[in-house]
Amino acid sequence: MVRIGIMGLTGCSGCQCEILNCQEALLKMLKRVSINFFPLAQDDNSLEDLDILFVEGSVTTEEDERKVKKGREVSSLLVAIGSCACYGGVQSQRNDEVSLTEMVKAVYGEKGVPVKVSKPRAVSEVVEVDYELPGCPLDKKQFVYTVASLLSGVKPFFPKIPVCHECKLSENECLILKGIPCQGPVTFSGCGAPCTSAGVGCQGCRGNCDFPNFEEMVSLLTQRGLSVEDAVKFLKVFRGYTAKEIKVRGVVDEKGA
Amino acid sequence: MKRELNVNHLSRVEGHGAVDIVIDGSALKEIRLRFTEGPRFFEYITRERLYTEIPKIVSRICGICYVSHRLASSMAIEDAFGVEVTEEIKLLRKLLIVGEYLESHALHLYFLALPDYMGYGSAIEMAKDYPNIVKRGFAIKEVGNRIMKTIAGKTVHGENVLAGGFKSIPEKEQLERIRDDLYGIIPELKATLSLFDSLNYPEANSPHNYELSLKGGHFGSLCEELEISDGTVFTKREYEFFVEEEVSPYSTAKRSTIKGKAFLIGPLARVNRALDSYHPSVKEEIKKLKNALPSSNPFLSNLARAVELLEAGFLGIETVERLLNAYPFEPEVPLEPKKGEGYGVKEAPRGTLYHRYAFDENGRCIGANIITPTAQLQAVIEENLASLVEKDLHLPDSELKKRAEMLVRAYDP
Repeated sequence: MVRIGIMGLTGCSGCQCEILNCQEALLKMLKRVSINFFPLAQDDNSLEDLDILFVEGSVTTEEDERKVKKGREVSSLLVAIGSCACYGGVQSQRNDEVSLTEMVKAVYGEKGVPVKVSKPRAVSEVVEVDYELPGCPLDKKQFVYTVASLLSGVKPFFPKIPVCHECKLSENECLILKGIPCQGPVTFSGCGAPCTSAGVGCQGCRGNCDFPNFEEMVSLLTQRGLSVEDAVKFLKVFRGYTAKEIKVRGVVDEKGA
Repeated sequence: MKRELNVNHLSRVEGHGAVDIVIDGSALKEIRLRFTEGPRFFEYITRERLYTEIPKIVSRICGICYVSHRLASSMAIEDAFGVEVTEEIKLLRKLLIVGEYLESHALHLYFLALPDYMGYGSAIEMAKDYPNIVKRGFAIKEVGNRIMKTIAGKTVHGENVLAGGFKSIPEKEQLERIRDDLYGIIPELKATLSLFDSLNYPEANSPHNYELSLKGGHFGSLCEELEISDGTVFTKREYEFFVEEEVSPYSTAKRSTIKGKAFLIGPLARVNRALDSYHPSVKEEIKKLKNALPSSNPFLSNLARAVELLEAGFLGIETVERLLNAYPFEPEVPLEPKKGEGYGVKEAPRGTLYHRYAFDENGRCIGANIITPTAQLQAVIEENLASLVEKDLHLPDSELKKRAEMLVRAYDP
């Protein structure tokens, strides 16, 4: 039996719920794996000697850091699941705008918060990560594919091509051409473009694709009514520490020069 | 003799919690429920963001009840901009809530709570002996998920739930499929109700000071008034005057009280109030129960969830029929940002939820306050834990800890 663990740090538990949503696949999986650590779903949990550990959530508290370091030590493979674990999550979108003290004071007042906290970090900023399954939440199919691949001794592989690719395959009309703010061109595909298929622009929850052209992206967004500032904030929501790749220097002017 | 009991990591609850109990001789000295979840500062990360970003950001407060956070924030934005959505949009929102409740309640009942009563450590273990019970849980969850995926675009954090309504509405065939799915699970929902009526719930009669819910207590209500069990009715704008929040010295969730006292919210508080408003078939089923409702036994929150599940099935069928009659309809109403403040309240699966936002003239958020069910439940769970421990002091440590865990889990904080 392959021993797996599923750990939650600071997040919304949405990825762990998506894993439970795998239902039939999960029941099949249980023939080959034993779940040794999954506090959300079971009582007896042992964080020892694991083959694969899935980690959800950002590293925000001292306890998160201790847990993920221990998890790294005891597991042969560590897979970060969801955009909190991969990039820092929505909670990290203002990391570069304000200080931690300011945030604590604004929400909890002078008394502060009763646990030791740092600015939210991605798991890879704290320990070595073998694979990342981004998305908010992670994609179920990618989770099942990853487990199936690892069980068969194959490395899971995810091409970092933009969401536009899958959006086209879904035969959607381009939302950007319709004037709807959409991050498809700079976002890592693998979700099957469900948001654009519902008529909502891609929100960038899966992070950067390879070679994202943020300058052009910001320019397209500003031509559709957003200010540069709002466009950058829109792009930053899920990208966490990878948002530093967003460059707005020399934003293309009206003439497209 | 001093006894200290600590449950450091509550399992089978969403998020991170711990319970500390200190007993001195024959008296309970101290009880603490600590939420150790890392803070995420939602009231701060929403600042300076455009109103269009808000539902998406606050959706991430909770992966199970994201629909509640998205709808409460969307309604707050509509309130701030002085916009009323159409009847059809309200109906589609209601159907989405049905999906949310089917998923969330089935997850809680079958996967988090039931193993306690059947004597297993998890539903995975339970599946070996009771595969069909676990499959029933999956089947109900699946229908809820399909409704959310169809309307919102994704099962978790579906982005098509926005201020003003939706960017698109489901195809007619998809709505018909939802209707058929709902008809299909009614027997499963009835079986769920009898199953959860047949369990042996510990006795715990701790009358609550107050119970709070949206007026009428129906989980699917989009009403904007709230009701305390002493008869007080107040508006969403008055929420912060009635529900007072303070920072806890040991928990990352804030602690709330009404008139200085702990209060009950959630499925039991709602069902206690809403019994008369349910579908006739649900009322019929409630008559057959061996447990009596209304009740003040917090363990019966699980039975209350099963009641709401069945009601969700019937409400869903009725709602989808009305949507099919109105089909096709406009998915959204236009929004024009303006300076001001807006409020949104909703019954989340765990209890009443409150969002308030202030916007500048461009629709950028300049202030927010969110009062979650977890924060409001902290005080009442501690109070219930105290009376449980006092009553069961004679039990050995392990048994007492188990009871305490089951109680916290019944609230699903």
